[in-house]
Amino acid sequence: MTASGIAVSPRPSLLKRLAASDHLAGWAFVAPAVILIAVFALIPIGWSLLLSLQSTNLIAPAHYVGLANYRALTKDPAFRSAIGHTLVYTVLFVPISVAGALGIAVALNRRIRGIRFYRVAVFVPLVTSTVATGIIFLWLLDPTFGLVNYVLHLLGLPQQQFLQDPNQALYCIVVMTVWSWLGFDVIIYLAALQGIPEDLLEASEMDGASRWATFRSIVLPLLGPATLFIVVWSTINALQLFDEIYVTTRGGPLGSTTVIVYYLYQQAFQFFNGGYGAAIAYVLFLGILIVTLLQLWIGRRRVYYSS
Amino acid sequence: MKRLALLPLIVGTLALAACGGTSSSGGSASKAASGGSSSGGHTTITVWQGDTETEAAAFKTLVAEFNRTHPTITVNSQFYGNSDYALQKVLAAIAGGKPPDISYLYGSWAPNIATNPQVVKLNKFINADPSFNWNDFFPAERKVATVGNNIIGVPALVDNLALVYNKTLFQQAGIPTPTPQWTWSDFENAALKLTDPAKKQFGWAYVNDASEDTVWRYWAMLWQAGGSILSPDAKQAAFNSAAGVKAMTLLQQLSAKHAIYLDDGSDNYLSVFNNGHIGMLWTGPWDLAQIIQSKVKYGVTILPADQNHQTISGPDNWVMFNNGSAREQAAWTFLKWLTSPAIDLQWVTLTGDLPVRASVAKLAGYTKFTQRYPGIGVWAANLNNATQARPQITTYPKISTAIGQAVQGVLLGKAQPQQALSQAAQQVNGILAAPG
Amino acid sequence: MSVQPAIAAPERFPPLPDAEPSRRRSRLPFSPWHLFLAPLAAIMLVPFIWMVIVSLETRQQATSFPPQLIPSSLHFSNYSAAWNAVPFGRFFINSLLYSLATVAGNLLFCSLAGYAFARIRFFGRDVLFVVLLATLMVPFQVILIPTFLIVKQIGLVDSIGGLIMPNLCSAFGIFMLRQFFRTLPIELEEAARIDGTSRLGILFKIVLPLSLPALATLGIIQFMWSWNDFLWPLIIIDSQAHDTLQLGLSQFQGSHFTQWNLLMAATVMSQIPMLLVFLFAQRWFIRSVAFTGIK
Repeated sequence: MTASGIAVSPRPSLLKRLAASDHLAGWAFVAPAVILIAVFALIPIGWSLLLSLQSTNLIAPAHYVGLANYRALTKDPAFRSAIGHTLVYTVLFVPISVAGALGIAVALNRRIRGIRFYRVAVFVPLVTSTVATGIIFLWLLDPTFGLVNYVLHLLGLPQQQFLQDPNQALYCIVVMTVWSWLGFDVIIYLAALQGIPEDLLEASEMDGASRWATFRSIVLPLLGPATLFIVVWSTINALQLFDEIYVTTRGGPLGSTTVIVYYLYQQAFQFFNGGYGAAIAYVLFLGILIVTLLQLWIGRRRVYYSS
Repeated sequence: MKRLALLPLIVGTLALAACGGTSSSGGSASKAASGGSSSGGHTTITVWQGDTETEAAAFKTLVAEFNRTHPTITVNSQFYGNSDYALQKVLAAIAGGKPPDISYLYGSWAPNIATNPQVVKLNKFINADPSFNWNDFFPAERKVATVGNNIIGVPALVDNLALVYNKTLFQQAGIPTPTPQWTWSDFENAALKLTDPAKKQFGWAYVNDASEDTVWRYWAMLWQAGGSILSPDAKQAAFNSAAGVKAMTLLQQLSAKHAIYLDDGSDNYLSVFNNGHIGMLWTGPWDLAQIIQSKVKYGVTILPADQNHQTISGPDNWVMFNNGSAREQAAWTFLKWLTSPAIDLQWVTLTGDLPVRASVAKLAGYTKFTQRYPGIGVWAANLNNATQARPQITTYPKISTAIGQAVQGVLLGKAQPQQALSQAAQQVNGILAAPG
Repeated sequence: MSVQPAIAAPERFPPLPDAEPSRRRSRLPFSPWHLFLAPLAAIMLVPFIWMVIVSLETRQQATSFPPQLIPSSLHFSNYSAAWNAVPFGRFFINSLLYSLATVAGNLLFCSLAGYAFARIRFFGRDVLFVVLLATLMVPFQVILIPTFLIVKQIGLVDSIGGLIMPNLCSAFGIFMLRQFFRTLPIELEEAARIDGTSRLGILFKIVLPLSLPALATLGIIQFMWSWNDFLWPLIIIDSQAHDTLQLGLSQFQGSHFTQWNLLMAATVMSQIPMLLVFLFAQRWFIRSVAFTGIK
């Protein structure tokens, strides 16, 4: 209201203009990203949806078979095993790596001597290519000549078969991938920790709160957005595990490490069932989508944004 | 901040610079996606291969020689990755409608690759040119290059499995070294005598990653026991016969006594053998160069027999794709030259691979070849024992996986031979019965 | 509810020296954190150290299985041998172009989009966000052929441009930056809006300067992905002149035999740039000076 008491008509239309420009502004900002992603990701994803409705070896001309691939999937015991292995892997990988990364990031957020060296050390496994990581772990875990069994031998513990044991292989993969990917979550947490005002932490400590209480009631909630991001991303990634399996166990032994994407790869590029592989991808996609939406929904209710 | 505003500029510049790079490579690459062209009597063709090290150098030498001696054709050789990665690249190129003119493709892919209409059926070229002498290639190669009635590839590589042994270990164990008259029981006894857990020493090695590497050794054993993989009409599994069980049982017994070093698929068995921890290998000429370098005192002989000394061969093909008649003709000229006896002798001398033609053994330089790679002659002669081939059907990879799991289960002690084979047979029958 | 930065410490306690709190209480001559960080660093580094050791061994030592842990002599010549075995310099440049371009692209486009998703209410925002996120949920093996076909349509097969284009913007970066932007106090932006600053101005002058840790993180991650990418370069690149480092490395791995010492030397060489990038970007991980400078 202006001081003269005259009704100010520009304000409603200013609001309207602002509101309208919000939509325009929003779309303008996302336009480049949307165009790039639409062309290079959404269209290919649509193409493979079409592929999943075909029977093809990706070499000869294909023919449409409707939902036959999907129907076959429901009756495929190997696919069900793959789902089981993938879920076991994910349920282990995500909490371990998120919790581990949080602890390590907090430890790395110090100003002590050599902290830069420690940070680089944690980052090194991340930059090691998957091939090199696989080779090294195969060496370390070889049942006869590997270093780990040698150490077990020195400690008087029984030798293990590790990646050659159907009951142990998947867990070895969990260890290998946690080791490999910790750095990723750590640097995200580190970046998030920078956003926590130091005076908040100091004030809390001066008020007599224990370090753990400070952590739980101030740091943890403020890391909410980062945690949500890491959990969602880690889950999406874990459910699509492939490279590490490819360079080590190739889905074995006895199929114990055949996860969904590896099964997809076998179907499409070893058995020449391109359409079936695409159908697997779509079922996986739906599964990941549901899990992600669930996580985002929980996050919306429980994650605290400082704005 | 002003610095951040530079981002769009940076992105734009880099993108432009990168796009400009398209035409900077050799002129042939910019013409067509597959890098071939034909104009004014000069033809350029592209060859895709996955050679590394010695073979890469040798191939480069040969291609240069061809280009020099054939002024109207230029061969452009490109590395396309190894093994499975290569298949994905080839499939992408096929999907894009512009495959290379020639591609090295595993023999096991032949039945599926052959379904592509752009694959050149070589019958017309071979029939029109008697000097090519198709029958000079070994039977195993010809079988794998043929799908149905069509010859879809020129043999690129041939090999087979023979028995390589460590003479020193045999001496230390005080047992006579293997001979061409060996039987399975000779083999089994030797393997057991050469096994010493305290020294981390194994009598034998077996690749146990359930891949084709696992399977094809088993096929050799099956054939030696007189069995066959499928029924003659290829509609039923036949490997779960008594012969199959016998072969599986041999594996089980040796494995149970820890006589076998189980390789996880990374081929570390070779290093273990070269360090004197394995007594015997069933392997091919590809390992020979490394064994020679390692200074192990080795010997080579044919595989032991149950009822026969059959071995298995794993040929690969050069497959031609039709990108127009001029390029097709040029590709044929190159392949004929490459696999001609004289050039093939050059190749084998440089790489230690086996000759793809029987007539190569009659050439003057052949003795030099066998002297350079002591023992290679055994493999060359052993090609005559490779009388059978794996089924040339599109569903073979699935069959392979079923057997691979069976063998792996038995070697790990998780399954009994009969039960594992029955289960695999059931799966295979289902695979064979499925339409398409 | 917005977060109020705490006011100055109350007068009851005298100002403490700015050393680490733990030093006050520990009886060790060094911070107790070392007891945790040192073993952790060892576990993280052991495989890398082994790689370096193998890269310095002779072919003989490297092919013993497993490769010996303590080489009898150091062969730095492996590095020059690996460098010369393939056109390493060329591969380096190609990988660098690819990585830098995708980093720049992602930083720019994901900032724009992430800001919009974080702060602007526009029609269809939430649905669009999920749609973009969905592109992360399909494994690349499935879409590699159609992506190739599209790049072929544009005419960028066998070029660095073809490498870059599909990777210029990823939903990953959008998601990450959206999360970070939302943690920033909104008062600054609101104040700037009232002052009439355009949204673009707010993004570049206020939000991004405060988001340096997040941007550095995205930059490092994207750089690493592009640097280590193997499958897409394999599919799109044909001629050796355009090969990236990872493609070059694959030429050390034969289908039956691998030259471990050379492969490890080549691998170590290819990893050093990433470690350098990380060391360089580390300065953004310390407390961002701009942030503590808020009124």
